[in-house]
Formats: sequence, C-alpha cells, structure tokens
Amino acid sequence: MSRARDVLERLVGASGAERAVISVAALALSIVVGGLIVFVSGLGAACEAGANYHIAIPLPGSFEILLFDGRLSMFGFQSCYDPINVYEKLFIGAIGGLPWESGWQPTNFSMEVFLQRATLLLFTGLSVAVAFRAGLFNIGTQGQMVWGALTSAVAVLFVADFVPAGVAGTVILLPLALFAGAVAGGIWGAIPGALKAYADANEVITTIMLNFVAYYATTLLVREFFQDPQSTGGTQTRMVPVNSLLPSIPLGFQESRFSILALVLALVLAAVVYYVLWGTSFGFDVRTSGLQPEAATYAGVDAERTIVRSMTISGALGGIAGALWVLLANGRFLTGQEVPSLGFDGITVSVLAGNNPIGVVFGSVLFGVLKSGGNTLNFQTDVPPELVNVLSGLIILFVAMPEFFRLIGKYLGVGDEPAPAAATTDGGEEDG
Amino acid sequence: MSNTAVRLAGITKRFPGVVANDQVDLTVEKGSVHALLGENGAGKTTLMNVLYGLLQPEEGDVYVDGERRDFRSPRDAIDAGIGMIHQHFMLVDPMEIWANIVLGQEPRKYFGLTVDEQQAIQEVRDLSERYGFDVDPTETVEDVSVGVQQRVEILKALYRGADVLILDEPTAVLTPQEVEDLYGVLDELTAQGKTVIFITHKLGEAMHSADDITVLRDGESIATVPADETNQDELAEMMVGREVLLEVDVPEHEPGETTLAVDDVTVTDSDDIDRVKDVSFEVRGGEVFGIAGVDGNGQSELVEAITGLESPTSGRIVIEGEDVTGHSRRQRIEDGMAYIPEDRHERGLVMDFDLVENGLLGSQHSEPYSKSGRIEWDTVRGHAEDIIETYDVRPPNADADAHSLSGGNQQKFIVGREFERDPSVVVATHPTRGVDIGSTEFIHEELLDLRQRDRAVLLISSKLDEVRQLSDRLGVMYEGELVDIVDPEETSEEEIGLLMAGERPDGIETVRKTGGKP
Amino acid sequence: MDRTGLRRRATGVTVALLAIVSIWGILQPESAAGELFWTATETGTIESSLRLAVPIALTAIGGLYAEKSGIINIGLEGLLIISAFVSVLVTDLLGPGQSTGIPPVVTFDLGGSTYTIDPGLQLLIPNIWVGLAGGVVASMLLAFLFGVICIRYQADQIIAGLAVWLIALGLAPFAAKVVYGQPSTAQVGTFDNWTIPVLSEIPVAGEILFDASPMVIIMLVSVPVAWYGLNRTSFGYWVRASGENPKALDTVGVNVDRVRYAAVLISGFFSGIGGTALSLGAVGSFSGAGQTMVDGRGFIAIAAYLFGNYNPFGAFAASYLFSGLQALQIRLQGIAPTEVFLMLPYLVVVIVLVLVGRTRLPEAAGEHYESGED
Repeated sequence: MSRARDVLERLVGASGAERAVISVAALALSIVVGGLIVFVSGLGAACEAGANYHIAIPLPGSFEILLFDGRLSMFGFQSCYDPINVYEKLFIGAIGGLPWESGWQPTNFSMEVFLQRATLLLFTGLSVAVAFRAGLFNIGTQGQMVWGALTSAVAVLFVADFVPAGVAGTVILLPLALFAGAVAGGIWGAIPGALKAYADANEVITTIMLNFVAYYATTLLVREFFQDPQSTGGTQTRMVPVNSLLPSIPLGFQESRFSILALVLALVLAAVVYYVLWGTSFGFDVRTSGLQPEAATYAGVDAERTIVRSMTISGALGGIAGALWVLLANGRFLTGQEVPSLGFDGITVSVLAGNNPIGVVFGSVLFGVLKSGGNTLNFQTDVPPELVNVLSGLIILFVAMPEFFRLIGKYLGVGDEPAPAAATTDGGEEDG
Repeated sequence: MSNTAVRLAGITKRFPGVVANDQVDLTVEKGSVHALLGENGAGKTTLMNVLYGLLQPEEGDVYVDGERRDFRSPRDAIDAGIGMIHQHFMLVDPMEIWANIVLGQEPRKYFGLTVDEQQAIQEVRDLSERYGFDVDPTETVEDVSVGVQQRVEILKALYRGADVLILDEPTAVLTPQEVEDLYGVLDELTAQGKTVIFITHKLGEAMHSADDITVLRDGESIATVPADETNQDELAEMMVGREVLLEVDVPEHEPGETTLAVDDVTVTDSDDIDRVKDVSFEVRGGEVFGIAGVDGNGQSELVEAITGLESPTSGRIVIEGEDVTGHSRRQRIEDGMAYIPEDRHERGLVMDFDLVENGLLGSQHSEPYSKSGRIEWDTVRGHAEDIIETYDVRPPNADADAHSLSGGNQQKFIVGREFERDPSVVVATHPTRGVDIGSTEFIHEELLDLRQRDRAVLLISSKLDEVRQLSDRLGVMYEGELVDIVDPEETSEEEIGLLMAGERPDGIETVRKTGGKP
Repeated sequence: MDRTGLRRRATGVTVALLAIVSIWGILQPESAAGELFWTATETGTIESSLRLAVPIALTAIGGLYAEKSGIINIGLEGLLIISAFVSVLVTDLLGPGQSTGIPPVVTFDLGGSTYTIDPGLQLLIPNIWVGLAGGVVASMLLAFLFGVICIRYQADQIIAGLAVWLIALGLAPFAAKVVYGQPSTAQVGTFDNWTIPVLSEIPVAGEILFDASPMVIIMLVSVPVAWYGLNRTSFGYWVRASGENPKALDTVGVNVDRVRYAAVLISGFFSGIGGTALSLGAVGSFSGAGQTMVDGRGFIAIAAYLFGNYNPFGAFAASYLFSGLQALQIRLQGIAPTEVFLMLPYLVVVIVLVLVGRTRLPEAAGEHYESGED
C-alpha cells in the first residue's frame, strides 16, 4: 500500500528522521544547559553545606554503579544544588519513583498528575501544531483555554439543574462541557485569525494581547456574575456537579484527577488532526498555506478563509483543553494559576514535535513528566520548580537552530552532504 | 602585460554536485569591452563573482593590472578597482539615489558623526555629469526607471574608483532603446579609459557591443575571439556545442472560435495606481497570443486578473462565452484554465513538498484526486508519476522534494501538471525563464502542440524572440496599456521595440507618461 | 485604501477621538468625558504617563533598530524581564542606598599579613546606577544570544524570539526564588528625581520635564538621538540598507552580519534601560508572578514602533498613548471595574495593529542573509 508507505515515510523519512534527531539533541542540550544553570544558581543560594554529589547508575534492588561521590566547587564556592539529583527528582519523581522499587504503585499521586498534565498538554500541543502548520504563530492557546474553561464550567452549572442526576446526566453534561469549551475557544481563536486574514494584524502580538484580555475579562465576568458565594479568597465559580466530571475508571486513582477517557479522547483527536492535515483536501490547503502562501493562492486556496479556519480549529482544541482543565484538574473555573503555563508549554510541545500531531503525543508525555516532576522539585528540594519553564524556553531555543546541530553533525562527520542546491545551476542566471 | 586590465588563470570553482568553472582562463584588454558569452549555467556569473570576490575559487589565480590578487570579499575587489553591476540591482529602493551611490563610503562631517548630505549630492552630481549620465541624485530609487537604476549602479561602481566594470546581463531588463543608450554609456566609459566586461547570452549583443568575445560552455572557456573576426553562427556553435536551429518550426494552423476574451480590464493596486488600463483582446482556440513588453509594464497584474489571483477593478474576463470575472482562483481552475506562473519557486511549486504533493497543487479539491474532501493518494501518486514520465522530469523520482530538482526540471513538472488538466485556456508567463536550452525547446513544442489541439494559449514573455516566434498575434504592453496588436511575422524587432518603449514607429507618442515606476 | 492612507486614518481616528473627548470635556466638565479630560491633563497624570511610557518607548526604539536592520526581535519582552530583575538583584547585592567606589579598595592576604590597596581617590557610584548597568548588560547578553541564533545559526526569528521570551519568563522567577525564596525580590528603592535648576522653575513644563525621574529624562534624550542615529549617520544608513536589501550593503563591502549584530545589541541596550526603568524606576523591586511585572510591555512596544512607522518620535507618541491609558486607569478607578482599565491597553494595541496591519516592513525583515550566496 503506497498510502501506508507515505505515512511511514512522513514519520521516519529522511527529513523526519533529521527533525527527530534535532529534537532529541535539543532536549539533551537543554538538560545539560539547565543543569549548569542549576549548578551555578546553587552557588548563590543559601545553604549550610554544599550538595553532596552522588552520581551513580541505579540498578534494581539497592545496587548501583557509583561514578562519583563528593562535593563540587567553583571559584572556591560550593553549589547548594546537585543537578544530577535535581534531574533524578524531576524525572523519577514525576511518576512517583522507579517502577521496580518496592512500594511503587501505578496509581500514585505523581503518576496521576503526570498523566493529567500529559493529557492536557496533548490538547494544547495539538492546538499550537495546527496553527503552526498553517504558518500561524498562535501564542493565544492560553486565552483560548481560559475562555473554553469558563464557558464550559458555566454551561455545565447552568444546564445541570435541568438534567437527571447520575450517569444519565453525565451523558448530556460531558459532551456539552466539551462542546461549550470548543466553541468558546474557537471563537477566541477565530478573532486573531480574522484580524490576520483581513487586516494583516500580526498574530503573534494580537494573540498575546488577547491572552491578557481573556484573563481580565473572565476575572471580571466571574466576579460579577458567576462567583462562588462560598469562596473566601479566590475568584472562582461553584463546583460543577460530580456527574459532569470525567469518571476515573478503571484505574482507580485516589484523587480522580485523571481519566483514561480524556487520554483516549486526546489520542483520538491527535489521530484525527493527523488525518485531516495529511489525508484531506482541507489539510492540504492548510499545509500549503503554511509553507508557501503564494503557492497556496495559486493553487486556488482561499487564503483568508484558511487562516480563519485554522485558527478556529486551533482555538477549539485549546478550548477543549480548558474544558478538561475544569473537569479534570479543578472541578470549577478559577482565575490565575497554571492555565498560562499549560498554554505556553503547548508551544514547546509542538515545536519539539516538529508540529507533527503524532510527535505531539511524545512531546506531551515528556512535558507531562516535567510538569509533574516540577511539583516533586517543589516538595523535595530547594530548587524552584520554575526550572521547568527555563528548560521549556531552552528547548524551543535549541530546536529553532537546526543549523547549529547540522554544523556539529558535520564536525563529527555524521551529517549528510547538503543537497545540491538548484540555485547553482539556474539561480545565478535567471532570465535567460 | 601592461595593456592587460584583468587576467584570470585556471579558475576552478565547484558547488556541491556541480563544477561551475573548470580551469577557466580569461584575459581582458584595458579600455576594451569584453563580452563573456554563454548559455544559462555556463558559469559566466560564477566566474565574475570570483573576480568580484563574492566567491573564492578552489584553484586558479586572479591578476589585476598584472598583479596577483587574492580577493576574500567584494571589499578587496573594490579596492583593486573592480566594480560589478549585478543583474538584479543591488539598490536600496526606498533610499535616495545619492545615498545608494555613497553607501559604505559616505562623506562625513561633525567628527564623522554625520553623513554630509550636501557634499555627497555634489560628488554624485559631478560624477554623473562627467560621464554624461542624466541622473538626479535626490530622487528615490524606486521612483526612477530601470534604465536610470542601471546607471545608478554604474555610478556606484565609478564612485568607488572602479576601472574595470563587470555588467551581468545588463540588457535583460531594458527596452531596445534603453539598450542603445547603454551602448552609448559603454562607449563613453571606454573612451575615458575604463574597461568593461559584459556578461550576456545574446549573440547579437556580444557582436554589437564588444571588442572581444570569450565563449563559456559547461563551465569551460571555449575560445576568445575578436568580435570583427567572427559571426553569429560560429558563436552559436561554440556556445551550444552543436549547430542550433535558432528558428522554431511553427506549423500552419487555422484558429477557431474565441476561447478567452479579455474585455476592458483595469487593475488598480493598493496605492491607487492603475497597473493595467482598459486592456481588451481575444485569444482563439488554436492560437498563440503573445504579449511582449518590458518587465513591470502591467503584464503580471494582467495575468493575475485573468487567472483569478486578483480581481480586476473593472472589465470582464470571458472563457468560452461564460463571464468568469467573479470566479475565484479555484473556480478558474475548474473553468479549464491552466497557468504557468512566472515564479516557480514562489507560486508554481511548494519547494518542501515532494512531487506527489506538488502534482496535486491546484487539483486538491477535484475528482479523481479528492473524493468528498478525502485525498486519494494512490491516484495522486500515479498522476505525478505520469507527469514525470511524459514530460521527462529528471530524476524520475516522485518522492523527491521540489527543491532538489534543477530549474529546467521544475519547470517541466509545472508545465506537465498544468497541461495534463486538459485545459481550454493556457496562460504561460515566462515559461522558459531560467531554463536550459533543451527544456526550452521541449516547452516550446508542448505549447505548439496545445495550439495544434485547438487550445487557446496566452504567452507572456520578456524574451522578444520567444514571443515573436511562437505567437500568431502579438500584443505589446507599455505602462499598463495594450499599445498595439501586431502580426509578428510582418513587424520588425525594431518596430516592436519602439512599441515596448511606448512610442509609435512613426514617432508619435501614443501613451501618456505617468511618471510612475514601470 | 493604501498603506499611508490607512496609517493616516489610524492617526486621524486617534486624534479625532482625543479631540472629541477634549472638547466635550472642556464644555461639560461634569461629564465622564470631562473627568477623563481634566484627569488626563493634570500634571500628575502627565508625569505618571511619561514614567509609564519609559519602558515601552525605550524598548520600541531598540526594537525598531533591530527590525530596520532585518531582525524582527519578538523577544523584547524577555529582554525587559531579565533586565528588570537583574538591575534589582545587582542593586540589592551591592547594598541598596549605598554606593560603590571605582576603583575599588582591594584587600587580600599574603603570607599571613593582610594588605589593603586603597586608591585614595574614588568615584562613588550609587548602587542603583550600578544596578542599571547590570540590567543593561544582562539584556544585551540575552540579545547577543538571540543575535547569534538568528544570524550565525539561521534560526527562525519568530521562534527564536519566543524562546528568548520564555527563557527569561522562566529564568527571572527561578533566580528570584533561589535568592529570595519567592518569585519577587526585596525592595531596594527607586531613582531620585533629577531637578535641573532654573529650568524646573518653569510652570507645568518645568515640573514635568526638568524635575523628573532620570529614566524619563533618559527617554526624552534617547528619542531624538535614536532618530538622528537612524537618519543622519552612516550607521543608520547601513541599518536601513541591511533591512531593505542586505546584498546591496554586502556588495559595497559593509559586513551585514556586523550591522545586524550591532542593531540587535542596540535593542538589548534600550530594552535594558527600559526594564530597569520598570523595576528600579517605579517600584523599587521586581515581581515575577504570572507574566512578571513586565506584563506584555515588550509586545506593546512592538505595536508602538509599528504604529510609529519605525520613527522614534512616532514610537514615543504611540508609547505615550498606551501608557496614558495605564495612567488614567490608576487615577480613574471607580468609574468602571478595575479589569476594564487593566485590559484597555491590550485592547487598544489590538485595535492599533488592525489599523496599521499593512505597515510596510523592511523588505528583508525576518530573512536570513548569507553573504556570497547568489
């Protein structure tokens, strides 16, 4: 089947393989640079004694291969932080320890957080990927999420009074919540799309500005109309009814902050997005516009409409992420907190994945680990969990410079010869 | 030796996969015009980029005034008295002419903190007068004609003290009259002791303007001959390596009904300037209708209006009796219009797509490639493979990305894709621009084949000989107007040239000069 | 409608709106427009508008240099964040309210005895000014990193700019937590006003311009200097040529990369002062919660120079428009919910972008340039 071959080729083809190598290399380099940042900032932190560096390869049981044990110093100062330990906490802590350690439960709290974040990031990552594929830098997934979350919460709270309790209500409320989120996010995404298409307003800046507007507008709306009367502090809505929450079957997590249904939905959507982009005429229009808008117009693509549609889809995916954020993480809409970082991390996930929906699945797993591990850092070390955000920025930075890795590759003698440029045979003497 | 301005000895320059210059020798006499003649891709521009320090050769030596030089950058070449006028002008359009000329060597005042505008303008004015150029230094580059821009480029080189001027395809963008003016400029330059190297692929120009001619072919220098000791046939043979038929064989064919009608079309751009003014013509089935004109006289805008990329401000486009003016680009494709765009890198191909996907470009919503919004990849792949085979695209690999193909093969693929639509109307803009001679012949044959099959062909090209030879009727555009429609067989090149310059052969100006950018 | 027409319309709409509010306000002092007008023209409002304009205007000036040279620096926000933080940190580490002497007094141990080298004559620099230098250096370093990625390693400028922003957005709160245990810093005080004798006695104007924060004075000096640099010096010509047609510059022997590095460093320099003006100029501390105290000003600055059509004076006027809205928000709380005023500047930026969307960017902006390719 040539179609199957096409799909395979796009995933592992030459350029795809190069992208994957660059992503992995960027990730590795970010971790190294991040480690350096941790070490250096440890020099400035206050602590009684420098961190004891215990570098070892852990083996099952209590065995390990010891590589280094002692303290490190720089300019006579000892660093309070041990990057190796930090990464150990970050990556292993993210899933609540090593699976072969005694007492490790697959349903532990960290695991639950990890799976929840990975699921949400899959949506925001897909949201960003769709827009980027269309050549649109949608930085507004955050704002789209916020609107999706509020609308979904309000819709459920409003309708909940009219539907039966129990599973029957769930069947109505769940799709309603997701739909409401998608519509609100879609509209909030369509706005900068239309401004870009019809007024040429730079979407990077408009989406960022609209993030701020979304934040203040939802805060205002909640405070004026939807405030939970029992709330003592924060600006938040009432809790949505229990039967609208995603059932946490069948894994049996304690806190029911993760549902396999959400993950399945996310994976299905990833497949759908992939299929739409590569299997449909509309997807062809989107990808052509993203690579070469002039060629797209030539091929009969309605540029304006494609921009608005892509941004709407992107926004809708962000809106669904918002709805799930309500249904999974909080059970209500509340302002501030971590919504923004989920939106921004979607950018990193997508960039790391080369804006490929299938790659986004892997990217979101990685970032789910980082987000959950960030919590562990907060509880178990003095290293601020903001480290994850620094890593996120570094990853984008390094993925953005493929030329750097090509040069390294060439230096190491593993890179390919650059393709013979057509320019050398005809570029120099146009207009013959 | 003292009479030699420039000597290149054994220059070799390689690019990945290509040897652009292979042991090339060149000797240029002081005070002469030396033509560097060769086909596209023969290595002329590469050789001159080596002389100008833009490229560093792998082997070979450069001598200027008998002294061996090692140019690391254009700066070195400029210091040695070499100036280059590129085919695409190296001018900053929104800046004034004087600023362009002194760029990088601005006269300064106030402890070097400020550019001395008055002095710069004066210096440029003096220089311009010395060589009899009619250039106003205070005008902005984007407001002056291409001919003036070229003189600005020459002044730029002279301002930097150039003794040797390299002109890369200087006539490509000029009207025949501007070309004559350029010859005058060259005479004035050599009279004042400057040396000129003139890159061209046009035999007539080399014969007409040069004292000596060096022919390059496939990166090698074939021969250097004095212009008055050779003839066009001999040069052509040296250029191509075989005897070429300079004439295209156009068979007799009786055209049929009107297929494409352009009726009073006006196109206004975003700056409220009429780029196309009340243009009307008809193209019949089985006819090639050519449009000649210097680039930038509204041809692109006219084509965009016909093909549906832009909508005309007024007027109608009619295909086979149906008014399609309001049809979108996509509908035009469905109306049976094929379009070979002028820029294949920007429009004709998506460079990062493989040929399978590029073969789908424009048909992504049409059966049988797409059924209810779903792309039939097997059919699409078969289609691309058919194009590759029928139109001899090399390498014959549908999975190759478009950017890995040579210009000629990219163009053949576009031609194939568009002709395979079985169109009733074909709009071909500069179909052989930047394409090698073999592919050019092939594309010409395909165009004529469509004509034999009673399709309407609209051919827009800035190559006068191409449109003259292929067209049954020939329209000439100048400043957005269709100045005249002539029978190319009964109209001389000079007469068409005058029309292209906006003048009637009898000397009466028919077109008002609006002073806008051409 | 052509580009210049649109810009004219945008400016026209703005001026007309301001005029309507003013006239209405003068005729009907009791109306909402009246309150708006009289509040906006109070000396206090103008002073705080100017102070709030500093970060945006300076960043816009830096950003327009970079973009004019062909490098779209969308990471200005990151430069503001890092300089706002580092300037406070440096001031705090050296001791707020104290001064550092140059050359310093050096004390060292040698063979058991302690030696001290005291230069005797020292230039005492208030630490807050050393903090400014620190902020500027940090911002320029990050800008240099951005330049290397875009120029040397041919990165996509938009993605690289986003990366710079996100790195700073993570790094500043991270470092604040390391040092202070929270995402915000300690309070280290602000710059004292500069009062210029005699001139400051002039009614209204003297009060506003000659008895002002040094940051405001730096901004008022920077605007004409930046304009002069761009339009009257050789370097300015090179910057513009580099953004319009880098090859034209390259072929006359000016190194395009160097011009672009210089322009990017200039964007770092001005953003560095801008970020410092935000933290040390107004609040005296850095707050790193959420979007940090910078809150999108780097992006607003981009809108400001686009609205100002790459003219430093225009960019300043646009910045004043945005900051004026912020100043009014502080003074007019109570008319409408706070959030309305808080989101107003962002909404206005969106509207401005719609009106000036078709601004003509420099021809080669956003494109990588490699010398010698043909």
